[in-house]
Amino acid sequence: MRAILRRTATSPVAQFLAAGLVVLLVVAVGSLVLSRRAADHEAVADARATTELLARSVVQPALRRGLVSGDAGAVDRFDRTMLRKLLVGDVQRIKIWRGDGRIVYSDETRLIGSRYPLGEEELQVLHHGTSDAEISDLSRPENRFERGMGGLLEVYTRVRSPEGKPLLFEVYYSSADIARRRQDVYDAFSPITVGGLLALVLVTTPLLWVLTRRLDRAGRDRERLLLAAADASESERRRIARDLHDGVVQDLAGTSFALAAALRDPATDRATSARLEPLTASLRRSLRALRSLLVEIYPPDLRADGLAAALGDLVAPAAGAGVAASVQVDEVDAASEDAVRLVWRVAQEAVRNTLRHADASRLDVHVRREGDRLLLDVDDDGQGLRPAGSAAPGGRRGEGPGIGLRSLRDLIREAGGTLEVRSAPDRGTSVHLEVGA
Amino acid sequence: MNQSSSPSNRPTGARRLAVAAVVTAVAAGGALSAAPAQAKGGDDVVHRGTCAGSTHWKLKVGPDDGRLEVEGEIDSNHVGQSWNWRILHNGSTSASGTATTKAPSGSFEVRRTVVNLRGTDTVTFRARNAKSGALCSGTVRI
Repeated sequence: MRAILRRTATSPVAQFLAAGLVVLLVVAVGSLVLSRRAADHEAVADARATTELLARSVVQPALRRGLVSGDAGAVDRFDRTMLRKLLVGDVQRIKIWRGDGRIVYSDETRLIGSRYPLGEEELQVLHHGTSDAEISDLSRPENRFERGMGGLLEVYTRVRSPEGKPLLFEVYYSSADIARRRQDVYDAFSPITVGGLLALVLVTTPLLWVLTRRLDRAGRDRERLLLAAADASESERRRIARDLHDGVVQDLAGTSFALAAALRDPATDRATSARLEPLTASLRRSLRALRSLLVEIYPPDLRADGLAAALGDLVAPAAGAGVAASVQVDEVDAASEDAVRLVWRVAQEAVRNTLRHADASRLDVHVRREGDRLLLDVDDDGQGLRPAGSAAPGGRRGEGPGIGLRSLRDLIREAGGTLEVRSAPDRGTSVHLEVGA
Repeated sequence: MNQSSSPSNRPTGARRLAVAAVVTAVAAGGALSAAPAQAKGGDDVVHRGTCAGSTHWKLKVGPDDGRLEVEGEIDSNHVGQSWNWRILHNGSTSASGTATTKAPSGSFEVRRTVVNLRGTDTVTFRARNAKSGALCSGTVRI
């Protein structure tokens, strides 16, 4: 289950869909916020336009003489003719104010004749004939009858009585209208933004899926080719190693034995023995070096029971380089061939690094099993690895753990193993591998 | 000759309106009589009277959603009479018109709403016979 989840999480299509979903959410929320702003602005603008239209076209022509002075008959006639015309749509309340703050008309008749001080903005509208809008402050006494109506937007503009007195015409709109307009704007924009993005995701997902499949297929083909190349290379190395082992190595071994026999022969004089002895030693060293090379080219037996011998051959050149090498392999008989092969390759790389670069005097290779894990430790007491990019003694630049080991990391990770390289300048290097046995 | 009467009972509505009514019946042309005012319904105030001989008038005023519903009626028992009527609110003309008495009763009725203003509202219904000049008028203060 965890593997399926991990595979799904690393799938490019799943990642694309997840990213698309996040973008979709961001766009949706952004659209909502922007549409709210736009709708609020739109609603206020609409309310102002409606109010100005009502003021010019309905209220102003219907104003009667006497209304401004509170004449009851004028109020009655205005009320009877205007009430149904004004309380339309989302208009919740109408008030007509005198400049001194007296309400000369309202559909809430209890307000008629009351007096409340006008605010600065209302007075400005009254004097300059513009219009303004604001959210109603329902805590004010003149708005006490609107408290049960929820949020209200009040818009006011100026009208003139037949006597020429400026009056403030005030209309209260329900905030439900603003919410509806907000929803209208969002509904208008969301198909373009959210829907467009959704359509893009829907269109591109199959394309991405097809592309991913092609890339996967190409990757598998490349892997197959690499494996075929590796097999071919291994076959070739095996052939070369076998030819060298059966030919040159056998010949050199025979020559070495013959020379050793000649040295032991009493008939061989001292002067001849003195000349032959270094030649024999040199021949033995060359033979050892050749056997190590053969092991490197193609390990003779990479099964668990042959690992100790192969590692022994691997470190054979150490003696010639003045490095005291030891190999210890404990209870790895039941380990799989893949694990043993991986241990061999890491050991090969680590030993090669030590012999070539470490200037070490000691090299220890230890393979053991702990539970279901196969462990490899390769330790030396050499100069250690320099941090990548730093200057090493002799002017050589440091290269970190080495290209060979770094290139093995992917292989180790795929096998479910871990590789740890601990090193410090002049304090040696330790390579530790753990892999499933 | 004027005659006033008080309502027969006081309204007891939720708004606890203090209702006082004064009815004035004016009979132009000599013959005049007045009937005691009557109240019907919750907050409605009803007054009736006679004028111009056998003509009966009725004025009913009652609260109606922040307003006052005014109902004026003239019953002359003669079909086809033309009357000029007027509703005065606090002395100012709120509504006016011309109406004709109709069969079978020989009466007409007008209804209007007026705004219920702060304090006491005085509502008067006045009708004048276009031919004889007889005037019928009733007033309610509410």
